Amino acid sequence: MRGLRKVFGATVAVDGIDLEVPVGSVLGMLGPNGSGKTTLIRMLLGLTPPTAGTVELLGHADPVAALPHVGALVEGPGFHGFLSGRDNLLRVAAAEPLLPSRDIAATVSTALERVGLAAAADRRYRGYSLGMKQRLGLAAALLVPRRLVVLDEPTNGLDPAGTRDVRRIIGELHADGATVIVSSHLLTEVEATCTHVAVLQAGTLVASGELATLLSAGAGGLVVATPDVELALHTLREVATAYRGAAGEVVVNDGPPAPEIVARLVRAGVAVHEARRRRTNLEDLFARLTEET
Amino acid sequence: MSEQAGNAALERTRVSAPIGRLLGSEVRWLLRRPRTLVMLGLFALMPVTIAIGVVASNRSGGLVGNILGNGLVLPVVALILAQALLLPLAVGMAAADALAGESAAGTLRGLLIAPVSRLRLVGMKAFGVLVVAVLATGVIAVVGALAGVLLVGGTDGLVTLSGTTVGVGGALGRIALAVAWTVGQLAAIGAVALAVSAWTEHPLVVLASVLGMVIVFGVLGAIPALDWLQPYLLTSGWSSGADVLRDPLPARGLVESTLRALCYLALGGGLTVYRMLRRDA
Repeated sequence: MRGLRKVFGATVAVDGIDLEVPVGSVLGMLGPNGSGKTTLIRMLLGLTPPTAGTVELLGHADPVAALPHVGALVEGPGFHGFLSGRDNLLRVAAAEPLLPSRDIAATVSTALERVGLAAAADRRYRGYSLGMKQRLGLAAALLVPRRLVVLDEPTNGLDPAGTRDVRRIIGELHADGATVIVSSHLLTEVEATCTHVAVLQAGTLVASGELATLLSAGAGGLVVATPDVELALHTLREVATAYRGAAGEVVVNDGPPAPEIVARLVRAGVAVHEARRRRTNLEDLFARLTEET
Repeated sequence: MSEQAGNAALERTRVSAPIGRLLGSEVRWLLRRPRTLVMLGLFALMPVTIAIGVVASNRSGGLVGNILGNGLVLPVVALILAQALLLPLAVGMAAADALAGESAAGTLRGLLIAPVSRLRLVGMKAFGVLVVAVLATGVIAVVGALAGVLLVGGTDGLVTLSGTTVGVGGALGRIALAVAWTVGQLAAIGAVALAVSAWTEHPLVVLASVLGMVIVFGVLGAIPALDWLQPYLLTSGWSSGADVLRDPLPARGLVESTLRALCYLALGGGLTVYRMLRRDA
């Protein structure tokens, strides 16, 4: 089985995106508001036809053939206010091809428990809080075991416990071998849960790949902890761009490899307490990628 | 699992929930809606109100006056009265909720992702609208018959508009005919309403379109200079509903209006399918 391959041609929202999501990966989709994340997801799920280009979902050109294996929470939860959470889920469950009729009631109860809605299951959806609505949407997406789960802003309106639950659920899905696509504004969430990242900007893909690779590619410089900051700066002036970092730290950029820098410092009599590669976090990376254009 | 085996397993899995389960879920959804129940309740009140009015005023004459002492006519008269505006309203409401309403609530997405194929979705929604048409018509007919028998009396037969009397069996047959004919006309309205519903996500637009259509058709049909339009207007056949109260029963108007309804049904159905296969959700 191959992964998903999606090639979109030009639409207003999404402009020629090529993206392959490896099976079993957790892809974090990032991008500012209006960058085309949701449109991309909608095309993937066959909710809106691409103007040009093709989508392949779990090896199928026709999304309908793959959708029984796909759970999705797109553009916020959509349920009827006059029905209880349970009745809303029963209605969704009735439409699930892979759910045998006799299992529906039990499956719905399990799903409600999984997202912590068991106590509120029989209350009308109308009276749910934003977070509860979001939880119900999550329950619908996870009603049957999935091979692909697509979560569009899953932590919207969730309290910290809910956010933790989402992270746990994504972890469980990943452990079960499912592929997960998460779009989120919460970069720390993505960083904590994702193996792969795709960054969108104005309808184009500005970066994609494994999270670790992207982060290390974006890593800049060496951080040296020393009490002799002045001496260190003086020593490195000729071979690298060095500047003051946090208290007692010197940041070295564009210089020779790390061992040589440390050797030079030590030869000059600078006491080196610690030298470490500066790791960019996703936030820096995201800011850099989306502000460049 | 090898690549081929994995794909083969995927091919074998069903891509659609059983159709009976989908239809059952749709009907349950309809009948859980407070507005559907309120509407059916009000429809049940209508023939009762007519019966009380007729008995209280104790005057004969006109279509409604025929009911006096002739209770089995009540369900047919109630249907004819409701057909003018109330029943189209009921069907329009159901069609508005069916696609535009689901789209507005964000639930259309959920159904399509499940997935319910788009063609099946149209079938499921059309079935739902038809169920509402049958229920609304059925409530008026059944409550009308009961109210006629209990409140108005005259249970030994039905006195036709032509002055003859048909027995109880014949009377029930004519009531059933009135129901079937009315449902046919409502199906045509429903199909057009569903087409509008497929094009918008505002349920109110659907309701306004249906009522607008019925009213405009009525006005156009009343303008003598435009009588060449008559064969094309759905509403122009609606006067033949009273034909079931004539003896012998003139079939021409009923058949003609039913054929016209079928044309509207095909048109509305075709447009609905065309749009739903392309619609963003």
